[in-house]
Amino acid sequence: MEEKVFKRGQEELRRHVLETRLCTGCGACIDLCPYYKSYRGKTAVLFPCVIDEGRCFAYCPKVEVDLDGLSELLFGKPYDGNPLGSYQSIAAAQAGDRLKDIDSQAGGVVSALTYFALQKGYIDGAALTDRKGLLPVPRFVTDPEDALACSTSKYTAAPTLSAVNQAVKDGYKNIGLVGTPCQVLAAALMRSNPLNADDFVDPFGLVIGLFCTWAIDFRLFEPFLAERIEIGRIRKIDIPPPPSEILEVFGDNGTKLEISLNEIRELVPNGCSYCIDMTSEFSDLSVGVMEGRPDMNTLIVRTDRGKKIVEEAEKEGYLTLSAMPEENLEHLIWAAGNKKKRGLTKAQGEGMINTTDDETKAYLRMSVKVLERLTA
Amino acid sequence: MTAKQLPKDPYNIIITGVGGQGNVMASRVFSNMLVEKGYYVTIGETFGSSQRGGSVMSHMRVSSLSAWSPQVPKGKVDIVVTLEPIEAIRVLAGYGNPAVKVLTNTRAIYPAGVIAGELSYPTLDEIRETLKKLSARAWFIDATDEAVKLGNSILGNIIMIGALSAVGDIPVGRDDFSAVISRTLPEGKIADNLKAFDLGVKMMKQ
Amino acid sequence: MSYLIDTKEGASYLVMGNEAIVRGALEAGVNVASGYPGTPSSEIIESFSKVAKERNLYVEWSVNEKVALEVAAAASFAQLRALCVMKQNGVNVASDFLLHLVGSGTRGGFVLVACDDPGALSSVNEGESRYFARLMEIPLLEPGTFQEAKEMTKWAFELSEELKQIVVVRSVTRLSHASGNITYGKLSDEARTAEFKFGGFVLDPDEGIVISAPVAWKHQQQQKKVEKAREIFEDSPFNTYEGPDRPELLLITSSACYLYSKEAINVLGVEDRVGLLKLGTTWPLPPKLMIKHLSQADKIMVVEEVLPFLEENVKILAAEKASEIGIKTFYGKNDGTIPMTGELNPDLVLAALSTVLGIDYTPVPEEYDQAAQTSAVSRAPAREQVFCPGCPHRASFFSIHNALEMDGRGGFVCGDIGCYTMAIGSTGFHSLKTLHSMGSGTGVASGFGKLGQFGMNQPILAVCGDSTFYHAVIPALVNAVHNKSDITLIVLDNSGTAMTGFQPHPGLDHNVLGEEVPSIDIARICEAIGARVEIRDPFDLEGTRETLNELIEDASGVKVLIMRKACALSPQRKNKKDYDVHVDQTLCVGEECGCGRLCTRIFGCPGLIWNEAQHKAEIDEVICVGCGVCTDICPQGAIKREEVA
Repeated sequence: MEEKVFKRGQEELRRHVLETRLCTGCGACIDLCPYYKSYRGKTAVLFPCVIDEGRCFAYCPKVEVDLDGLSELLFGKPYDGNPLGSYQSIAAAQAGDRLKDIDSQAGGVVSALTYFALQKGYIDGAALTDRKGLLPVPRFVTDPEDALACSTSKYTAAPTLSAVNQAVKDGYKNIGLVGTPCQVLAAALMRSNPLNADDFVDPFGLVIGLFCTWAIDFRLFEPFLAERIEIGRIRKIDIPPPPSEILEVFGDNGTKLEISLNEIRELVPNGCSYCIDMTSEFSDLSVGVMEGRPDMNTLIVRTDRGKKIVEEAEKEGYLTLSAMPEENLEHLIWAAGNKKKRGLTKAQGEGMINTTDDETKAYLRMSVKVLERLTA
Repeated sequence: MTAKQLPKDPYNIIITGVGGQGNVMASRVFSNMLVEKGYYVTIGETFGSSQRGGSVMSHMRVSSLSAWSPQVPKGKVDIVVTLEPIEAIRVLAGYGNPAVKVLTNTRAIYPAGVIAGELSYPTLDEIRETLKKLSARAWFIDATDEAVKLGNSILGNIIMIGALSAVGDIPVGRDDFSAVISRTLPEGKIADNLKAFDLGVKMMKQ
Repeated sequence: MSYLIDTKEGASYLVMGNEAIVRGALEAGVNVASGYPGTPSSEIIESFSKVAKERNLYVEWSVNEKVALEVAAAASFAQLRALCVMKQNGVNVASDFLLHLVGSGTRGGFVLVACDDPGALSSVNEGESRYFARLMEIPLLEPGTFQEAKEMTKWAFELSEELKQIVVVRSVTRLSHASGNITYGKLSDEARTAEFKFGGFVLDPDEGIVISAPVAWKHQQQQKKVEKAREIFEDSPFNTYEGPDRPELLLITSSACYLYSKEAINVLGVEDRVGLLKLGTTWPLPPKLMIKHLSQADKIMVVEEVLPFLEENVKILAAEKASEIGIKTFYGKNDGTIPMTGELNPDLVLAALSTVLGIDYTPVPEEYDQAAQTSAVSRAPAREQVFCPGCPHRASFFSIHNALEMDGRGGFVCGDIGCYTMAIGSTGFHSLKTLHSMGSGTGVASGFGKLGQFGMNQPILAVCGDSTFYHAVIPALVNAVHNKSDITLIVLDNSGTAMTGFQPHPGLDHNVLGEEVPSIDIARICEAIGARVEIRDPFDLEGTRETLNELIEDASGVKVLIMRKACALSPQRKNKKDYDVHVDQTLCVGEECGCGRLCTRIFGCPGLIWNEAQHKAEIDEVICVGCGVCTDICPQGAIKREEVA
């Protein structure tokens, strides 16, 4: 009888993620090999690859994600479905006096942390997201000042992990990442040595995750905006924290456009509707908006090394922390829990969790009990 | 000039190889040697798209009587001369018979499908085995390697011509070769070509 | 001095069929020769050009077959002898002019040499030019041997002047590109002066005006010429018979099939049973000759390629003359004895003959045949046609393919005719999705580009070569721009007509005679038509791909991207290495994740080979031409290039 080959390569990735439109363009599969390219927000496959088991499949956050395995690796315990994930502390935060005048989003905490980590050598480079016109593009920086140039939120996905892959090839050993939940999840997969390489070394020195409810499909967003404003004149885009329900577009001549989020929600990629993670649960540190406080961030500290960096940064004036208001925390837990439930229910309904035959790869593998509790 | 009688009439030679190797040049040179000796020669060849790395064949009908069809009928080839080993196998499937003689250059040129990993190319031993099985007599010559030593890989064709003349069935030799190239080649190239021809003859004696 | 103009009468030479045709024309004193490159015909103009100076010929590669025929016609109108040559589908291109030419008539001897390609050895069709003779009502001659190729061509000029009509000489690949011994005749020493007379009575064929009207009257004249040809053909030495007076089977054949039939009869040893009637004058059929032979046999087999042209004409005649010749049994294509498609060869005729004559013929012992077939399957891997090492098309299609994948909207390329036609296959990454005739890629794309109103949103591309551009693309491009069709045309400009043997075209500054001539700039034509034009070097892979994506997204109108790089076989590049290339095997990742053998499995340049023992890629130094492009595709930077001093 013919021996069945347990295949987890490009063919399987195509069938389960690309052709099903699950892909959110995180970039984990790009720049590992010549066959994947990102173009204007979409992941393209240039040529077929016949390798049975590849890193592209292993790193992809939309297929065969073993939540317990990752949780054990990073937090030493199984995945329990906590809405905000595993964490040590949560605070309200702002960039400190040292970085008072940086042009950034909300509280400027991501920029501050990245700047600090580079400055102090906690990381030898950082994979960030810059902008070329309206299109977000990955950018790998080694100079802390360059990190500040990448500040401001993008709202459309960039394949930022491709910069990580390139940095690994270039020999960087302590890479920093600022990424969305799917990118952070892919980073966690990369850190788990999924192909059991003998000479494996974890390339990440610090993973900063962002809060994300959904991203916007660039190829739909661009023409949508072009009807309302000249693309070249856009200086900044912002979605203020709840309760505001708008997307703001700031032009370079002082103009400001306000677009209802209802219109924007129609431009969200399919893959986002399966996401179960609002706060980048597999990071060292997660940063997001703070409801009602457009000048501040919510900062979640998850790991020891994340904690160490935050404490140092605060001590040296790069960060200011204060207590997280109870109401904000409750609401954050509620929102994150909702997203988790929505994503799991949809995925479960479409038979994508804990599949049992090898032909049908699962999106997620997790404890049945936890799944039942979360989708009840 | 009346041509000497051939072992059979028409006597059929197929020169084969890969497009771009100089198949046509080889058949031209040899056929002009035959015309020197007063034979009718009919040559069937295809040019154009077969040049682009595809298989090429020159069918040569040598006769003291008349012109013949430019394609050898199935089973009627007398000598196969190949510049690339597997092309001989292909030719024998179309035109071979138990009495055929085969002269093979051993230098492989891998088809695109082989390089891409979709097809497999036989080993030199497998090729030898097959050609010996499908012929009455088979010779294997490292014509390309020797030609590179002489300074130009295209001289491999001339080495094969020398070897072909040494088979002996057709009464043409060095004098005929020399007469042809002195008409067609510039002065400076003649010495190298004669060297190559002589080398081909010599390699048949080993 | 070229052996083609050896003045020694009775000299014997080994020549290609095409060269025999040239010699015949030279012996007839041809003055002007025109054509368009097309396999298997191209050597004819090339050979004429080699002797043009000594023989005072005007020789031209025209921009397409229609114009070529018009150029040669002018010579004929001016009382010179002219020859126009093209492959089978070229006659289609020239046919509108031909239709009017046969109405107007000709003056100086005018021969149209049509070289068909049965079996499509170098074509994407196996059309028949013979039907044009019947359709246009003009005489058709088919040489069956190399000597006849010469004699017929020579005589065709005389016939043409007697009839004041163009004469078709039809050859096929297996004659044009085959070689055989011929005996030379005498070269013409006639000197003609060109003068176009038009002052006489309007209907005077020699001094009137040259038009195909009044149609009814001119058509009658045309048919009278056919009648005259019919009479002349009765005694033609080009119709030969070998065999018994009353054969068991009459085999009627023409063209190269004569050689196959002769061989088949010889192999079976049935010279006493089969009568071989070779027709050289295949249209119009000479009735008396046909009746003479048809009445001597009950069984008739017609052997020809590709379609049953001769067969059906013989059957019509046989039906008309049934009372004289009796009822016959016919074998040929219509009853399946001879295949209706593809080229013929001695083996197919052998099979037909053995069936009809009831002979058991085994060409090779069964055991040997089995062994040989098995060996071919297992030990002779198929050899796909690929772009030459260093070919700019490989690089161009790599970029085109990648740009379309990255665009991701199901874009496609309408293909055209040239070396780049091979982009249908893996060598061009399967890029072409439609393919028809010269210039049709742009025309079809122009059509696709107007389907937006029906919901079509796939990016539309077309490719063409530089020679193809002048031949037929210009009108299609005008159409696209004028009708606001959103397409991107990629002109693969490799400075020559490569597939057919690298002939010059209007983009170059020299012609087939080696004279300096004005070159006509493709970019300026496209700009003048109103397209947005960009020019790139296809060896700059990333720059080209980026430009292409930008053009594909530009919805402002028609875009033209000219990919300019000389052909690897061109005089500029042949035998000139830009780089020494080698693979650093310590860096080569090969089959592992991270590469998956991109260079040898996908890119496929013949200069890159896979070392099975080492599991690394290697450069084949005999084949590599040193273009250096592969350096830019290796994800590990393992392929190194050093500039050659």
